[in-house]
Amino acid sequence: MTAVAAAPSRRPERRRRHRGDAAAYGFIAPNLGLLALFVVVPLVGTLVLSLQRTNGFGGGVFVGLENYARLFADPLFWRASANTALSTVLVTGLSLGLGLLTALLLNAALPARAVLRSILILPMAVSSVASALIGKLVFDENAGVLNALLQAVGLPAVSWQSGGAPAFASVVLVTLWLRLGFNMLIYLAALQGVGRDLIEAATLDGAGARQRIRYVVVPMLGPATFFLLVIDVVYSFQVFDVVFVLTGGGPQNATDVLVTYAYQNGFVTRDQGYAAAIGVVLLVVAVVFAVVQWNTSRTRDLTE
Amino acid sequence: MTAATTPLTRRRATGRVARRRLVVALRTLAAVVVAIVVAFPLYWMAVVALSTRSDLLSGSLRLIPSSLTLDNFARVFERFPVWTWFGNSVAIAVVVALITVTLNTLAGYAFAHLRFRGSTLLFFVALGTLTLPVQVIMVALFQLTTSLGLYGSYWAVILPTSASAVGLLLSRQFMLSIPRDLIEAARLDGAGHLRVFRSIVIPLSRPLLAVLFFLTLLASWNDFAWPLIALKENRLFTLPIGLLYLQSENGPDYNTTMAFALLDVAPMVVLFLVFQRYFVQGFARSGIR
Amino acid sequence: MTLTRRQALGAAAVGTLPLALAGCGFVPSAAPSKAAAGTIAFTTWGTDAELAGFRSVIASFEKAHPGAEVTLNAVPYEQMFTNIDAQLQAGNPPDVFRVPYYTFGSYAGGDQLLDLSKHLPSGFADRFTPQAWAAVQQGGKPFGVPHHTDTNVIFYNRKALSDAGVTSVPTSADSAWTWSEFRAVAQKLRSSLPSNRYPFAYNWQGNGVTRWLNWLFQDDGRFLSSDLKSAAIDSTQGRAAIDFTRTFFPDRLVPKNDFVKSSTYAADAFANESVAMVFSGAFAIPDTDGLKFEWGSTFSPRQARGGSDFGGNALVATKAAGGKAELIAEFFDHVTQEAQMRTFCEGASLLPTRQDLVSDGISFTVRPELSKVSVGQASLVRASDSGQVASPNMSKIITVLQTQLDTAFVGGRGAAATATAAAAGITAAVA
Repeated sequence: MTAVAAAPSRRPERRRRHRGDAAAYGFIAPNLGLLALFVVVPLVGTLVLSLQRTNGFGGGVFVGLENYARLFADPLFWRASANTALSTVLVTGLSLGLGLLTALLLNAALPARAVLRSILILPMAVSSVASALIGKLVFDENAGVLNALLQAVGLPAVSWQSGGAPAFASVVLVTLWLRLGFNMLIYLAALQGVGRDLIEAATLDGAGARQRIRYVVVPMLGPATFFLLVIDVVYSFQVFDVVFVLTGGGPQNATDVLVTYAYQNGFVTRDQGYAAAIGVVLLVVAVVFAVVQWNTSRTRDLTE
Repeated sequence: MTAATTPLTRRRATGRVARRRLVVALRTLAAVVVAIVVAFPLYWMAVVALSTRSDLLSGSLRLIPSSLTLDNFARVFERFPVWTWFGNSVAIAVVVALITVTLNTLAGYAFAHLRFRGSTLLFFVALGTLTLPVQVIMVALFQLTTSLGLYGSYWAVILPTSASAVGLLLSRQFMLSIPRDLIEAARLDGAGHLRVFRSIVIPLSRPLLAVLFFLTLLASWNDFAWPLIALKENRLFTLPIGLLYLQSENGPDYNTTMAFALLDVAPMVVLFLVFQRYFVQGFARSGIR
Repeated sequence: MTLTRRQALGAAAVGTLPLALAGCGFVPSAAPSKAAAGTIAFTTWGTDAELAGFRSVIASFEKAHPGAEVTLNAVPYEQMFTNIDAQLQAGNPPDVFRVPYYTFGSYAGGDQLLDLSKHLPSGFADRFTPQAWAAVQQGGKPFGVPHHTDTNVIFYNRKALSDAGVTSVPTSADSAWTWSEFRAVAQKLRSSLPSNRYPFAYNWQGNGVTRWLNWLFQDDGRFLSSDLKSAAIDSTQGRAAIDFTRTFFPDRLVPKNDFVKSSTYAADAFANESVAMVFSGAFAIPDTDGLKFEWGSTFSPRQARGGSDFGGNALVATKAAGGKAELIAEFFDHVTQEAQMRTFCEGASLLPTRQDLVSDGISFTVRPELSKVSVGQASLVRASDSGQVASPNMSKIITVLQTQLDTAFVGGRGAAATATAAAAGITAAVA
């Protein structure tokens, strides 16, 4: 954000900035205008809705913060929050870790490296709905290919659908499958930026493979990691299609996340006010996270 | 002494070569294993799409199909207006990508190279919209599109989908890497901002444009929550919504579903494979690292 | 959301957006409310056979009513009602839509549907069975027409049953298996089947949870009191039904993924031979053409009496279509004529709601020999059963049943505790 650091306000300077302002606003207006119209306006509508008691259709009655008070006493809300947090941590952590690992694997000279890379990034092109459908096919507890494979090698079948933890794992695995390629790609780009000469210099200085990774590669990957962290967390917060199609939030709410719980309330039981309150909470948490992240990274950039 | 050390060094050298070979072999093995795991679901989708229903019987594990059939695809084409939906998907995705890339790069340039009041705040607000799942604002957004008279046309999907800040972040990061001197020199020569944008920034941003265009196209092609609500009629549907026809109690079997899913997924996968070189380069140069 | 805010938004933004690009789909099609008089916008989902049935009945209606037009909009079932809700809230709904009986109540009770009592011809109610007419009532007034029904029977894999030594199945409603006879059959199958196959699967997934109520009805129980204002599930019958069904899981009579909120439907398990029997409506018969094994159908079990769900769908008109009430009433009259209903039901493997068709019987186009079992099963449904499902709070009750039954099925909670919790949930839902 160095570009926007405030300049000392001397008079001529300010006048020049005024003229600049007009041009700049012209450049951002189409994009921000569309965002304002199609995101901010409905968001305000949602905020208003979250303060209302709604009964299915038509207008609601203003009840202040009643919906928010209900949230705090609702065990399913807390369950969905915990699931959202856990899946965010797992998906983000695993995407970053495996993304880096596969990027390191493919950054070296390997036979058929281009083919391997293509395969790993291929799921990026697959929609989350299609992936969830494939997930259903693979994780089907009776007829699925995964349990058949497990049993073929002498392992017990897993309750991917009726067991809470395995069902949660299936959601995480499908999401991870979708995300791995992107993470790897960004890390691969970053590793190419690290440059062979730096690594070779470290090798000449007698650094072992582990030391090279720890002292040369990892610090250079900071910005990429930060970028991925923000994107992955925001993405994880919004996972909807995979849960909706693969598990429907079950069994026994084991895979319900905040977005699916909000959807369930808003569109199935038609409690739109309550659903809006859940959405607002989700939004606040996501924004707080993004701001904290941004600030941490800014401080770090300044100190380093 | 030399006679004694030479074989030793040689042995050390051959040892190092052998170890390096082993490392490469192990790396390759690891990468191949990961690739197989990642590719398997897609392979399995294709297998199921090309198999008959009886090949999916419980308890029988047949990783390689005994026979292949195109019947499932024939059934999909017979039951659904696949070509209409395909055309809709293409039209919507291309228009969304064109609008989004244009707007994002314009704004990205301003945030990267122009100083103006409120830029920090506006940038954060724009990025903040990224954190918002559409399900949260769906009811209000639907009312808005209806009152704007968009409901019942492609625009009901195109305009809200084009309201995106993903590309804004990427554009700003990329354009920060364009030397400021270059821009200021052009400004001193009397070029207006729009001219600078057109004749300096855009030509230098080709990799960015490729990445952005493809990412937006992909996101729009695969989008489903909002188009499902916003597209009123069957004749306006996109492929992912058509896919939803197969998701119900009396929907058809896994084989037909996977055949349709394959039709939905294949165009993007092919595009992806064809253009991935530009794509990877674009990322490498987008400044996100 | 208030109308004024919407209007303000519209006024502010409509003029500023240049949307003049012409071409297919880039110009909004006329909104239903602005359509010329004589046009009915009809939104439905449907299988191929159902859509073909709707198209042919629309053609015959248009022929009989020159100047009238019905535009059919076929959408996916999944989330059809998400769209309908959004359209209702935005004041832009279709004129007529198709709705399952268990969803009907929330629209009628939410004041979204057109009261048809003044518009339908006199004596209209008499053509339907009492249970069918009861399913479209709200506060004593009709808010829709019962277009067709469907109900659970048992589909069985012939070879799997004979391998287990079950050589005959009930051929009349009176001789249907009692609960204990049914359980004995299931246990025979359990001992003859390999461990990765199961005796049966039950189709209570998703909104199909209303089909769990069949067990309750068979034991002559209720989930709502007769005024539909309080819970009645915490009863001897309620506990017995929960207790009987929850043991399916530990006894391995059903696959583990056959619980209520499972994303896999019971029919899939039957199709891939994971199970020997499946509970299903007749609607699924046309989808079974690809099955490689021989199968038949028999009646649902009985206990105190025979009973099953009043499945199927009503046609309803939205309040916004009030100006076309007469035309819509004529359309509803037409589609429930004897010939039209027979054609539709026989083609789509669904069951009639007309008294005359129920007593004369119909003959499905696909597997006609299975018609008798399904029609016979549907005649056991009582108006007191279908009337409960028409509760305006049914959507919330469905969520309660899903949650509470899965706690018993997957979580292993006992029948008494489940009945109490379900009653508490239903009480809150109807409050």
